[in-house]
Amino acid sequence: MAKHSGRGFSTIEYPTGMNQNGDPSQAWIKLKPDGRVDVFAGTVDIGQGSRTVHTQIVADTLGVPYDWVTMDNSNTDSSAVCTGTFASRGTFIGGNAVRFAAERVRERILDVASKELEIDAGDLEITDGEVVARGAPDRRISVADVAGAATYNYGELISGQGTALKPYAEVDDGDGRVQAEPHSAVSYAACVADLEVDDETGEVTVKRLVQVYDVGRAINPMLVEGQIEGGAIMGLGLGVLEQSYPYYPSAEHRGEQFGAYLVPAMENLPEIDNVILENPSADGPFGAKAIGEMANNAQPAAIAAAIHDAVGVWITEYPATPERVLRAMQEKREPRRDDKRVVFDEELSVRTVSSNGGAGFLDFE
Amino acid sequence: MKAVGARLPRYDGVAHVTGRSVFVDDVRIPGTLVAKALRSPHHSARITRLDTSTAERLRGVRAVVTYADVPLNVYGHLEALGIPADEPLLAEDDVGYRGQPIAAVAAEDADTALEAVDAIEVEYEERTPFFDMRKALDPDAPKFHQWGLVYPHFGSYNHRRVRRGDVDWAFEKADVIVSGVYRPQAIEQCPLETQVAVAVPDPDGRLTIYSCTQAMYFSMGVVAAHLQVPLNRLKFVGGTVGGGFGGKVDSASDTICALLAQKSRRPVKWRWTREEELLVSSTRAAWHVEIEDAVSGDGWILGRRTLTLHDAGAYARFSPYGVTKHAFHHTGAYTIPNLRFDGFVVFTNRSPTSAMRGYGVTSVSMAVELHMTRVADVLGMNPWEVRLKNANRIGDTTANRVVMQDPSTVPVTLAAAERVGEQLGQEYVAMTRDRRSGDLLPAHLVAQQAPEGAHVLEDEGGAA
Repeated sequence: MAKHSGRGFSTIEYPTGMNQNGDPSQAWIKLKPDGRVDVFAGTVDIGQGSRTVHTQIVADTLGVPYDWVTMDNSNTDSSAVCTGTFASRGTFIGGNAVRFAAERVRERILDVASKELEIDAGDLEITDGEVVARGAPDRRISVADVAGAATYNYGELISGQGTALKPYAEVDDGDGRVQAEPHSAVSYAACVADLEVDDETGEVTVKRLVQVYDVGRAINPMLVEGQIEGGAIMGLGLGVLEQSYPYYPSAEHRGEQFGAYLVPAMENLPEIDNVILENPSADGPFGAKAIGEMANNAQPAAIAAAIHDAVGVWITEYPATPERVLRAMQEKREPRRDDKRVVFDEELSVRTVSSNGGAGFLDFE
Repeated sequence: MKAVGARLPRYDGVAHVTGRSVFVDDVRIPGTLVAKALRSPHHSARITRLDTSTAERLRGVRAVVTYADVPLNVYGHLEALGIPADEPLLAEDDVGYRGQPIAAVAAEDADTALEAVDAIEVEYEERTPFFDMRKALDPDAPKFHQWGLVYPHFGSYNHRRVRRGDVDWAFEKADVIVSGVYRPQAIEQCPLETQVAVAVPDPDGRLTIYSCTQAMYFSMGVVAAHLQVPLNRLKFVGGTVGGGFGGKVDSASDTICALLAQKSRRPVKWRWTREEELLVSSTRAAWHVEIEDAVSGDGWILGRRTLTLHDAGAYARFSPYGVTKHAFHHTGAYTIPNLRFDGFVVFTNRSPTSAMRGYGVTSVSMAVELHMTRVADVLGMNPWEVRLKNANRIGDTTANRVVMQDPSTVPVTLAAAERVGEQLGQEYVAMTRDRRSGDLLPAHLVAQQAPEGAHVLEDEGGAA
C-alpha cells in the first residue's frame, strides 16, 4: 500500500449574462430629504452578496458614503423587473441597472445644486456626499442640503431609473452562427490541484487548490474570495464525491439524506490559495465581470488530471470515487491505436452502447 | 472611489450566522394551512384512475387540487425563448418520473394533509422506464414522451449544431487524432433551505407569495401563466434565499401553493422535506460528451468533432437552453477554427433536470480540460504549453463567430504556473493575450481572426 502524489490543472472560461441575452434588469433610486439613498431592484441575493455589491456600486457612482445607501430587493410591488439571479448576471447586469439609475440621480443632484450654487452643473462634482465646484473647493453644498432644497423648496423628488438590457442574439440553427455577441463579457480562470491517491482504497485526497480568476474588477474582493472558495468546494464535490445516481444510468439507490448523499464537509477541505487578476471589461460596472457560477467548473478536470499524474489512470466518468479509481487501476485500460488515431473510452461510446452503432446521433451531415 | 474595491462585510452576514435573518420558513401567518403532495411512485406509468372525493371529505382538509383545477396546466417556462410547453403542473394522463406531483392537499395540520394524500385513489398502468440516453434512438426504446426521446425543436433540427470551417481538412491534415468520452454526473444543488413557499390570499383574492425563488419576476410570470391572472393579482415577497445554486430559478413550490391558497381561501405553506429535495427536485443534468480532436505533431488543435447528449429527465424545462450554451462554449478557453458539434437533449424517466451553477458550461470544462490533458499526454508535450499555444487571444473568434474582446486564457494560465513554480519554455512565459501574429498565427488560424474593432466575424472566407 502506498499513497501517490499527483498534480493536474485546467483553464476555463465562462460567460456573463443569459446566453443570447434578452434578460433585462431594472432599478430605480430615490433620495430622502437628508440625501440618504433608497435603491429598489428585484435582484435576489442568494447568499453571494449581490445586495452589498450593488450598494457599493451606487455609493461610488453617486459619490456618497457607502452607509448612506439602502437597497430594497424584497418584493415585486416596489421593485422593477430583474430577470433573476442566474447566469452569473447579478454584478454585471443588475449592477449596471443600479449604476445607470444612479447616474441619472447624480445628474438631478447636480441640476439642483447648480441652482443653489449658481454654478453650471458641468463644473460640479460629487465626492463624499458633497457637491463641490471644480477648482473652487470652497464653493460647495452637501447632497443632504440639495435633497432638502429639492423636497421643500423646489417641490421635486430626486429620483432616477435604469435598465440594463442587451438585445436577444439570434442563432443560426444550421451552423451555430450568431449575428451579435450572445453574452455581456467572458471571465477566465485556472486551477491547479495537488492530491494523493491511496492505491489500496482508491481514495483521492485533494491537498491543495491554487486558483487564479480574472474577474475584470473585484467590486468587493472579500466576496469574490467567498465565491472562489465556495465554488472550489462544490467543484471538489463534483470531482470526487457527489452523484445523484450512484449507479447511473440506473435511477435506483439514490441518497435521500445528507448521510447518504455526500457533499464535501470540513474534513474534506484542502488548502485553497486564491489569486485575483483584474483586466477590466469594457461595459461592466467599474470594469467588473462575472465570478459566480464558474467557480465550480475548473476543479473536476484538474483533479482527474492529477489522478492520472499520480497513478496513471484516466477517470472520465465523474466523480472519481474510490471504486472507480480502484477498478481503473486494476483494469489498466489502454486506448485503441489505429494508424494516427488514438481512441480512448470506446466502451462508453454511443457507437458501442446503442444497438444500432449510434445511428441518428452520428450519421448525418 | 471608496466603496468599490473595499472589503466590506455582507449586509446580512451577522443576521445569517446569528439566526436572525427571516427566510420563507420563518414567515408566520395566523391560520396557515399545511400542504402535501401526492407523488408518483413509478418512473413511468399511465394514470388510469384518479379520485380525490374521499380525501376531500376528511375532517380538516380545506382543498385538494388536481390537473382539473389548473387554468393552464401545461405551460412552458421558457416559451419566450422558443422552447414549447411539455410539462403539466399536475400530472394528467401519465407520469414520467418517480416523485412527479399528481395532486396536492391543504389541511389544518401536516398529519391530516398526509392522511388525505393517502386517501386519494389512483391507479397506474406501469410502463418500461427508459434511462440510458445513449440508447434513445434504438428502435425498441420505450418512447414515453410526446416528442419521442429526443427534443426536436432546435429550429427544424433535433439537435443544436455548430458547423464551422473545414473539419474534414483538419482530420486529413492531422498528425494525431485523439478521441475520448467524458461523463459529467448529475448532482443535487443541496441548499440548506428546501423548496418552500407561503401563499396568502387577500380578502379580494390577490395573492401574496413568500418565495425562495432566485428570480422573483420570472417565478411571478410562471404563476400568473398557470393561474391565468394579470401580474397585479400577485405580489412576490423574497430576495433572501437559503441557498439556491440554480435549483430555485425554475419554480418548484410557488404555483401549487398558490393554487391551494386560491381554492381554500386560506394562507397555505408548502415546505418540501429533505427527501423531496434530494429525490424529486431538479438536479444538475448528467452529460455524455464525445470529443475527437485533430492535432498537429507540434500541438495545434486543427479541428474538433463533438457529440454531446444531455440528460433532460422527463421534461424539457431549461435543457435546450443549457445545450445551446454548451454548444457556444464547447471549445473551452481555446481557439479551434474547424468544428462540427451536435448536441442532443434526451428525455429519460428521471426527475427533470434544470439549472445549476455553471449551467451548460461546467460539462464543457469537465470534458474539454481532461481531453486537453490527454492530448498533451499522447503528444508527449507539456500540458501547460499545449493550452497556451491554442489559447483564446484578442481578435480570435468563438465557435459561433463572436470576436473575443478581452480573453484571459494566457494571463490566468501563466499566473497559475508561476504560483506553483511550473517551469515553462521562455517563448511561453513571454506570451500575452494580444492579437496573434508571427509563429502564433499559423495558417489554420488566419481566416478565423477578425478585423480590429469587429464584434462578430462576418466572413471568414475559405478554411486554411
